[in-house]
Amino acid sequence: MTEPLLRVDGVSHAFGGVYAVREVDIDVAYGELRAVIGPNGAGKSTLFNLVGGQLAVRTGAIVLAGTRVDRLPAHRRARLGIGVVFQGARIFRGMTALENAMVGAHAVTGGGFAGAVFRLPVHRREEREIRQSAREALARVGLAGWADRPAESLPLGQQRALQVARALCGRPRLLLLDEPAAGLRAAERDALARLFEELKTSGLTMVVIEHDVAFVTRLADRVTVLDLGRVIAEGTPATVRADPAVVAAYLGTGVHA
Amino acid sequence: MARRAPAVAVGVGTLALPPLLSGSHLTVYILLGLAVMVTVGLSLLMGYAGQVSLGQASFYAIGGYTAGLLSVHSLPPVLGLLAAPLVSAAFAVVVGIPLLRLRGHHLAFATLAMQLILLSLVARADWAGGAIGLQGIPRLSVGGYEFADDISYAYLVWAAVVLTLLVARNIVASRPGRGLRALASGETAAAASGVPVGRYRLAVFALSAAFAGLAGGIYAFYLGYLAPGSFPVLLSIEYVVMAVVGGLGTLWGALVGATAIILLVQVLNTLGTQPGMPGYAPSVLSYAVYAVLLVLVVIFLPHGIVPAVRARLTRRASSGAV
Repeated sequence: MTEPLLRVDGVSHAFGGVYAVREVDIDVAYGELRAVIGPNGAGKSTLFNLVGGQLAVRTGAIVLAGTRVDRLPAHRRARLGIGVVFQGARIFRGMTALENAMVGAHAVTGGGFAGAVFRLPVHRREEREIRQSAREALARVGLAGWADRPAESLPLGQQRALQVARALCGRPRLLLLDEPAAGLRAAERDALARLFEELKTSGLTMVVIEHDVAFVTRLADRVTVLDLGRVIAEGTPATVRADPAVVAAYLGTGVHA
Repeated sequence: MARRAPAVAVGVGTLALPPLLSGSHLTVYILLGLAVMVTVGLSLLMGYAGQVSLGQASFYAIGGYTAGLLSVHSLPPVLGLLAAPLVSAAFAVVVGIPLLRLRGHHLAFATLAMQLILLSLVARADWAGGAIGLQGIPRLSVGGYEFADDISYAYLVWAAVVLTLLVARNIVASRPGRGLRALASGETAAAASGVPVGRYRLAVFALSAAFAGLAGGIYAFYLGYLAPGSFPVLLSIEYVVMAVVGGLGTLWGALVGATAIILLVQVLNTLGTQPGMPGYAPSVLSYAVYAVLLVLVVIFLPHGIVPAVRARLTRRASSGAV
């Protein structure tokens, strides 16, 4: 078996003695679109934050392409290729959509304060490249026409897409998304699904954490089901849907798949 | 082109003014320039990096004492002037590493405490002149040229203002500037985008200290005398008021805010020292004006003067076009 792009190995995390994530193992292969589903309180967002670096990993290991990342702060993980799209709309207010996307390029650029102050040639070239790559990222998510708008003036669907553009600007090897379809209208949801298909075709590996089972099982290569912090099932969408443990976990919340 | 017009007008006015001003007005003009330098740094810190410092006058003091002490010990004054921003920035890095773990009000109070500690240490330090002050600081000379009269200091100060504005503008409009604005808006999302949040906070804190330090160095040579009493806590608060009144997150705001406050304080000072006014009138008036002005700005112009004017101009332009 070849080395996976992402390996989550025996990761546990407790809040005040209550385990939100317990001994979770997940391997995600290169180019895969993995859905992580589960009912409310299953530990999905905790897992997202542990991989992204927003929560400290105390037990277990997280390995990206052979490199241990679980001790690294979030900005270092971004540099190693973990791009994240948060729940809701964590855009940078007071900046245009283009500037928001340009911030994402921090993960792949290095220009510091001195270069900026003295406007060194290397700085000017890097600025041009950042602007170019941000415009491409906006075009890729369908926001080319919104570049100069203040980010907070965009509708929710576009703000979500802007977060994706920002992450893409950091040229991630792994894109991690936390409930990207939540709160979106049907048309926005379809646009998002089309975007995921395009990104997948381009070879990007994605982990999509989702409450809405129908939305992701349509797109995913494999599905991991969490319940009460543990992995209770894993496999193709069809096998997972047929799994009695999954049906039991979702009983009461209702399976739409 | 129209966007550049205000900048050109301010530039021409700045250059034309010094020969036209009388002695005491020229002093105000110089002190205004120094205040603008400190406020530009503070505006960067507060407006772009979302941090409040109530101890900015400490860096002004450190810059002043660095320049003063070095040149009193017969080093070339220009070395003192160059060392002033560097020593202030270095001090900011040393205190910033523990302090910047704090946020919001906690950071504000910690920087205030930093200034109180510094002032009492300086007052006890005989090698720095103690409470009496450091005297006999020579005038600044660069090469063969001595900055002897007030007009030369006026030009020196405003050249330094231009320098700080340029440095600040170049940073704001670049990769680190975007990182700073991002972290002011949301630290978690900024870090996840690859912005090294801790390092950036420290860098902008040091940069704001360097601006204040450079201003302090010029102040030392201009006055030729420094004492702990020259850097009261009220001065730090004054800088915050200037930055807020002008408008955080706009570099022009620092210029407008500092000018508005200094002119107002002058008017009130003149008023307070009129014959027949009680002896405490000037200080009461100046405290009162900060309080009232800050309250009024927060209520009526919550984003400060410059953003309010800009919004009005944009509205007028768009309604005129329709």
